[in-house]
Amino acid sequence: MNYSELLAELFLMPLVAFVVGLLMVLMMRKISARLQRRIGPPFFQPIYDIIKLYGKDTQISHGLIHDIGIVMAVGGYIGAELLLPVPGMDGIADKGGIITLSYFLMIPSLGMALGVGQCANPNGSIGISRALTAMLAYDIPFILIVFGAAWHYESTSLVGMLEYQQTHQWGIVEMPLLAIAGLFALQGMLGKQPFEIYIAPAEIATGPMVEMSGKYMGGLFVMQSFQLYTAGVLYASLFLGGGTTWLELLPKAFFVVAIPMSIAFMFPRYKTEDVVRLMWKWPVMLALISLAFIL
Amino acid sequence: MNLLDKLLIVSGLAFIAITALRNYRINDKLSPLWYLALTAILVLMSGVAYENTTIVSGLHYQILGFKLNWQFDSLSWFFAIITVVAALASSIFMSGDWARYYREKGGNYGMLQVALIANVLSMFLLLASSDLLTLFIGWEFVSWASFFMMILRPTSEAKKAAVKYAIYAMTGAMALLAAMVVIYTAGGSFEFKAVSIAFQGVSFLGQVILVVLLFAGFAIKMGLLPFHLWQAIAYAETPGPGAAFLGAISSRMGLFAIVLVIIKLVGLSNLAEMKFGANSINMQNIIAWIAALTTIIPTYIALQQHDAKRLLAWHGVGQGGYMLLGIMMFDSIGSAGGLMHVLNHASYQAALFLTVVAVVYRTGTSDLNRLGGLVTQMPLSFLVMLIGIIGLAGLPPMNGFVSKWMVYRSLLVNGQPLLFVAAVLGTLGTILSVYKLIHNTFLGQLRMEHREVREAPWSMMAPMLGLSVIVFITGFMPGLIMPWIASVQESVGLPAVEYTLGGIAFAKGGLDMIWVSGILFYGFGVGAVIFYLLGGKSKRVHQFDNYAGGHFLSSDVRYHYSNNFYPGLMHLIGTWYRGSFKWFEGVLVSIVSFISALFENMYRSRQPVILLVAVVLAGLYVVYKNYAGVVS
Repeated sequence: MNYSELLAELFLMPLVAFVVGLLMVLMMRKISARLQRRIGPPFFQPIYDIIKLYGKDTQISHGLIHDIGIVMAVGGYIGAELLLPVPGMDGIADKGGIITLSYFLMIPSLGMALGVGQCANPNGSIGISRALTAMLAYDIPFILIVFGAAWHYESTSLVGMLEYQQTHQWGIVEMPLLAIAGLFALQGMLGKQPFEIYIAPAEIATGPMVEMSGKYMGGLFVMQSFQLYTAGVLYASLFLGGGTTWLELLPKAFFVVAIPMSIAFMFPRYKTEDVVRLMWKWPVMLALISLAFIL
Repeated sequence: MNLLDKLLIVSGLAFIAITALRNYRINDKLSPLWYLALTAILVLMSGVAYENTTIVSGLHYQILGFKLNWQFDSLSWFFAIITVVAALASSIFMSGDWARYYREKGGNYGMLQVALIANVLSMFLLLASSDLLTLFIGWEFVSWASFFMMILRPTSEAKKAAVKYAIYAMTGAMALLAAMVVIYTAGGSFEFKAVSIAFQGVSFLGQVILVVLLFAGFAIKMGLLPFHLWQAIAYAETPGPGAAFLGAISSRMGLFAIVLVIIKLVGLSNLAEMKFGANSINMQNIIAWIAALTTIIPTYIALQQHDAKRLLAWHGVGQGGYMLLGIMMFDSIGSAGGLMHVLNHASYQAALFLTVVAVVYRTGTSDLNRLGGLVTQMPLSFLVMLIGIIGLAGLPPMNGFVSKWMVYRSLLVNGQPLLFVAAVLGTLGTILSVYKLIHNTFLGQLRMEHREVREAPWSMMAPMLGLSVIVFITGFMPGLIMPWIASVQESVGLPAVEYTLGGIAFAKGGLDMIWVSGILFYGFGVGAVIFYLLGGKSKRVHQFDNYAGGHFLSSDVRYHYSNNFYPGLMHLIGTWYRGSFKWFEGVLVSIVSFISALFENMYRSRQPVILLVAVVLAGLYVVYKNYAGVVS
């Protein structure tokens, strides 16, 4: 990899992720609107939202760590984007691997936790306590999926996994149970019902976002679009064969992200301990059965 | 006189000098110099690690016809350099303002210094052991030196913990002694090579008993399950920097002995071939599972603690599990990860403990429910703790990530999904727990009484910052210390790891931390650009200026969310550990005290009867021995 390629990847990969992530946000809002028999927001609404949040007059900072928390939350995902191989750009991704990537995905949570902690609002801290517990819940099936995929593809490099799938079959065909367990983890990771207690969008005053105003909220909005992109592309790379072109990859990623939103309204909201209980039971069981087949 | 002689002599002189000068103030500033000298000697000795040679000391001692002498190889050197750097950091930390503070509180500062050098000296003697006898003697010295350090705090709790430790340590020593007797009987000497001779000589059951005795003896020191109950409380009750030193390295002497005796002398193949239950499980699996459970259970006990020192000390027990787990994979990456975790853990654990001690120095408490919001008052300490917890939680880019990555990679290569999940479960629990630590100490509401608190003085900050630099540098360029680890692996018969400056060279997915850290910091940089350059200017507000649902917040309202930090999780898993191990320990203690009471009672009230029985039995034995043949 030469310098111009490297620079191009460093610049383009987060940019593409951001744009695609915004489209995913739009798609999710549209889906939820259609399910509720509304029309939904216009095409540029996510952009408007970000501009609005960044442009607010009131930007309340509770200290340096509050700022750094947002930087870490966004930055952790930008790092993760660079580790995700996408068509034409897999030079940097080759340096990482799935284990490193799964740990990168924990950094935004830690960053947000630090930022919220500095706000000195107990409601925020309660939200973080729930968010970290939820992370403990969904990361166990997730890590089993990582294990299963790495074992099956005989590589911890995502690039290697994609090569395997392009010469053999898609992961979902060879490991269907693991793919289903992956959907559970995805639902938890994106914080969609029934695993949305830590975000609790309807009760913003009792969640991590309670002290987030203006561009702090805007930063988290940006983070959300990165998060959707990461989840979609990662799942597509692990189970749906990724893509040799963007035209192949993007529909898969959008499809994956559409699933949690489409089924979210069927569920109530679980308590934190029930999230843990459910996550450690069904998806783990599915993943273990699947591993028994693979190993 | 070679370098090892110098090392042992200088540490002996240091012990004598510090003991003699313990009541003089000059000792405060002088004692770090001794550790500096020891560090220098070890650095001069680094050829042992880089070229993988052995230095045999010219010193020797004759006892009961056995000649004791000492030697250093790369394994000893690796543990020794960690020991001496941890001691150096602790001694600098306590040499300045902390000494005055400790004296004012009525502590015997001189004795703390003596305890520290006694620990270092005894650890050198253990690390330099060249046969089983010197190993045992060094082992005993280390045990008593730790005990000495633990009883320095005059509280009843500290004494109770120390006595508990002494009982555990003696049990371990007895197990070790029994194993040595078996080896001496079957192998003919106390030489290291007698172990493998003895191993060939005894039956399968004998082999198992030998391994169990040796392993249990060392596992007690390391606090492995089910011997994990003593360590955390004993370490947490040790005075300030002493706790940092013990937490960083002391219990790893158990790991040193396990690597030396179980891995090097008993040998990998012997362990793997020791099969049970229709060959379904072998000794390697059993020890690996003990290690895995040691990562989980103590970590989730740490999660429940509300004292910062205890929380860290429990994590120290838990992290020991990763080291053993990695080594028990018997491959190049796993064992390198396990060994590297010794160094990594020592660096961040010492930094974290020292930060907590600095907080105690300024605020007077390590109770996580009585702190909060200190980041504005002690920003550098916050930074050190942040680096430390990222290391402890094993997140990139700190060194804890590198060693844990290697352990995970090895579990993946070896196809151990359940152990893998166990390791990750430990890591996730650690993330939850360390967030609670930093949140309850440095984030959230600043209490009224802490508004005048200032940053820790430089004599404390310097070692804390130095340790965090180590945490970062060894994470950024693990290749700096990988040569040492590769030599250790070679010297104990493990396959050596292939490394680069940035990490591990491994087909199908290696690790290059220079890239990983670069990517992460690039991400943070872009994040900072998005945050700081775009959008309106933010306004700093007072901590009471936040959303409280219409209430007014004032300084008399304590609203820091600290107690029972993870209620949802505790509601679920709290019932799982209702102290079953404590119950088990209680049962054992009751049995021992019951038997001892029984014997005491017998001895006192039935003394003539016992004498009579003993005489009759002895007589019968003599009769049987002499006339058995005649009768038949």
